[in-house]
Amino acid sequence: MKELYIFAVKRLSRLFLGGVLLMSAVTAHGQTVAQELLEDPNRAAGNFYTLPTGKMPKDTPAPKGKKPFYINHYGCSASYYRESSSLYEEPYAVFCKADSLGKLTKLGKDVKLRLELLWRDAKGRVGELTSKGAIQSRELISQMVMRFPEAFNSTGYYSGRTIVQNNCLMTLEETMVQLSSMVQSAQLRITASHKEDRFMDPQDKTLEGLRWDSLTLARYERFLALNTGNARLMESLFTDQNFVINSVDPEILSRQLFVLAGSIQHTDLSGHVTLYDLFTPAEIMGHWKKLNAKYYIQNGACTLNGGTQPFMQRATLRNMIHMGDSMLNRPNPVAHLRYTKEDVVMGLACLMELDNCGLQTDNLDALGDMGWVNYRIAPIGGSIAMIHYRSEKGDPDVLVKVLLNGKEARLPIETDCAPYYHWDDVKRYYLRKLYRYENIRLNEETKE
Amino acid sequence: MSRYPIYKQSVKVLVILFTIHYSLFTVNAQTVKDLIIKKPTYASCNYDIYPDSVPDNLTPSPAGKKPFYISHYGRHGSRYISSRSGFDTPFRMIAHADSVNELTPIGDRVFDEMKYIMDDTESRWGELTSYGKEQHRSIARRMIERFPEVFRGDATVRCISTIVPRCIESMGAAMVEMKQINPKLRITMEASQRNQWYMNHQDRKLRRGYMTPEAQKAYDAYTASRMGNSRLMELIFKNPDIVKEIVDEEFFNYYLMKMGLFQQNTHLRANTYLQDLFNPDNLYSMWQIDNALWYIQHGACKLNGGKQPTSQRYLLRQLIADADSCIRLDRPGAQLRFGHETVLLPLVCLIGINGFDLATDNLDELEAKGWWCSSVFPMGANLQFIFYRSSPKDADVLLKVLLNEQEATLPVATDCAPYYHWNDVRSYCMKKLESITGK
Repeated sequence: MKELYIFAVKRLSRLFLGGVLLMSAVTAHGQTVAQELLEDPNRAAGNFYTLPTGKMPKDTPAPKGKKPFYINHYGCSASYYRESSSLYEEPYAVFCKADSLGKLTKLGKDVKLRLELLWRDAKGRVGELTSKGAIQSRELISQMVMRFPEAFNSTGYYSGRTIVQNNCLMTLEETMVQLSSMVQSAQLRITASHKEDRFMDPQDKTLEGLRWDSLTLARYERFLALNTGNARLMESLFTDQNFVINSVDPEILSRQLFVLAGSIQHTDLSGHVTLYDLFTPAEIMGHWKKLNAKYYIQNGACTLNGGTQPFMQRATLRNMIHMGDSMLNRPNPVAHLRYTKEDVVMGLACLMELDNCGLQTDNLDALGDMGWVNYRIAPIGGSIAMIHYRSEKGDPDVLVKVLLNGKEARLPIETDCAPYYHWDDVKRYYLRKLYRYENIRLNEETKE
Repeated sequence: MSRYPIYKQSVKVLVILFTIHYSLFTVNAQTVKDLIIKKPTYASCNYDIYPDSVPDNLTPSPAGKKPFYISHYGRHGSRYISSRSGFDTPFRMIAHADSVNELTPIGDRVFDEMKYIMDDTESRWGELTSYGKEQHRSIARRMIERFPEVFRGDATVRCISTIVPRCIESMGAAMVEMKQINPKLRITMEASQRNQWYMNHQDRKLRRGYMTPEAQKAYDAYTASRMGNSRLMELIFKNPDIVKEIVDEEFFNYYLMKMGLFQQNTHLRANTYLQDLFNPDNLYSMWQIDNALWYIQHGACKLNGGKQPTSQRYLLRQLIADADSCIRLDRPGAQLRFGHETVLLPLVCLIGINGFDLATDNLDELEAKGWWCSSVFPMGANLQFIFYRSSPKDADVLLKVLLNEQEATLPVATDCAPYYHWNDVRSYCMKKLESITGK
């Protein structure tokens, strides 16, 4: 009876705590998604929103005597050209065809010119880091060195690792070259190997198989239909709606234009060309919602498909914990800087339940209100960095704080010194979480 | 002036002359076989490893002139083997022989070693090894130490890599090292499909046409006596005659040797078990076979029209264009390019560096005339053009060429070797390019 009571209290307090945290999180950002998109429509690009580097995030002073000694970092590529050349070619081809038949409005003709500029700019560069990306990489690492000077000195060991992919590899190179100019006589090493894919970019066919089950797909498709309306856009671009019916897939074209609109921010055309003016704020919101829902289903703890997708990144989290433990007795500072796909960083943030990333719901429409917002989780240049603090080597009470995109994040763990957490608590919480899931998987797989 | 200092001076000159003569003599006297005995990987041609130190014997700058610009093309450093197929060939043969119980105890050990190497290389095909990174760090460090004038203050270093990860990593390793030496350097890096047309140009037409019937005939005749290794077969297989049905002796010998030598590029270099199965004669034969093939593929071989080096015409033109524009700048800094051996070798042949423009139809001549591909393109190989002048107004720009950081010759007349007048070199190269394009 007493146990039941304790259980109920625990449950209630957790619910209450959860509610309080949720409310604080929505208001922490101070702005709703709608306001943020109005302020900067580039955010609607979601994972392709580029993390601004202008203002350095503030740090809550560490508890007395504790100094950072280890940085465990998983980051996304900096700004790059989109991987598919057809994204640049196809919409341009549609506009060329329409133009040759005299079916473009004045706005349509202007859009055709803009698409040509984008296509020429990206030609022979698809998937590659842009010059803005190079600058962004250098600025982000500079900020890290300035924020945590104790973790960067000539006795340190700085290891950069990346998946074998041009944009991530170049992000790492830029980062390490910048770091090299800021930390003299240190050891700096770069590794890009498929040998490390198992934790740098984990694969799990079972989870992939669960991702888009028929119920989830049906719910998602209904959600798409509810948020789609391209008639106004087509009328503004093409003079003849018969042409649209016969030669254009409005949904595909609209999506391509929207994705292109979001990709301009990464290139030198930013500030000179835009495509966001083609869309009304409501349409921008609609596109963002669809994209956000898709990312939530694929990476978040969406209850429609079982809420287990974040476990895709369990090898990454395990590696993070393992490395954290391995560094406890290192006399000198260490940083592990790793660069991988946005999906991995996003999934990891969800698995770690940073801020609102652990959200569990089947309500795709309310994701924004509940604070699961893709551009706040894993934008271009985004990262999860766990900073380890101690007073001296051998300190039994190591503290950590986690930065999500440079900002101090909240963990789903109790602490007396937020945003700092006791390493032992953090480790226990995550290892239990991983163990519980792996146990379920083991049982399922041995059942047959 | 007394006579004593003059005497002292002449002794000095004599000593210097003698040392120069002596060093040239020893260089010339070294045969390929000597080199292979000293360093077995020399036999593996493009798998050879860059030396971990280079002799410090550069000629001082020409009077009144200083280095002001470096133009470079370098190969990535030591890597893992690019694809499975190179290791799969001998592995499948020995696995088959094992399945029918045809391996001797040595054969068993060889099979185990091969399994271990395969396992180690899995998921790393074509990737840069830690030695490869170390090679590039050292080359970068020496470049700054040898030509500090080019890298002074906030000098510009512009890097371009092919889009292949091992080249990008080589570039990164070199640049991280340069920033350690001079944090003020202004470094830009690029690895774009856009530059592939000259950074990694593979001429399909030339590629397809290199093995003409004449070339094939000469190659077969040249290699016939050098293939095979019956001693190895007897070491590894219980009944060499029987396993011949499943193990192709020539293939097996060739690929197992490569596999053994290749390990020198990786962290398994201390284990020389496979390498030690081969004696210097075996290694030497393989070098001859490979060297001849590389010559037919990339040299000015008369058996296939001698056009193979022209595959690098775009790169040469780009090098000239880059130099033209950089010479106009006050402080151009350095332009470093990171690519591949299949570019570097034909480029060296095209320009005619160190006599590598040798044109012959006699494969037996290659060795005697010094066409030794391993000297051009080990892992980490590089070509550096160092430009000198007294001031930005100096019209007589000189340059010298370093092949693998050693002074090299050009087939251009000069009055100040190893330095050449840029105008002479430029017009020589332009004529060469014009003869290719027919313009």
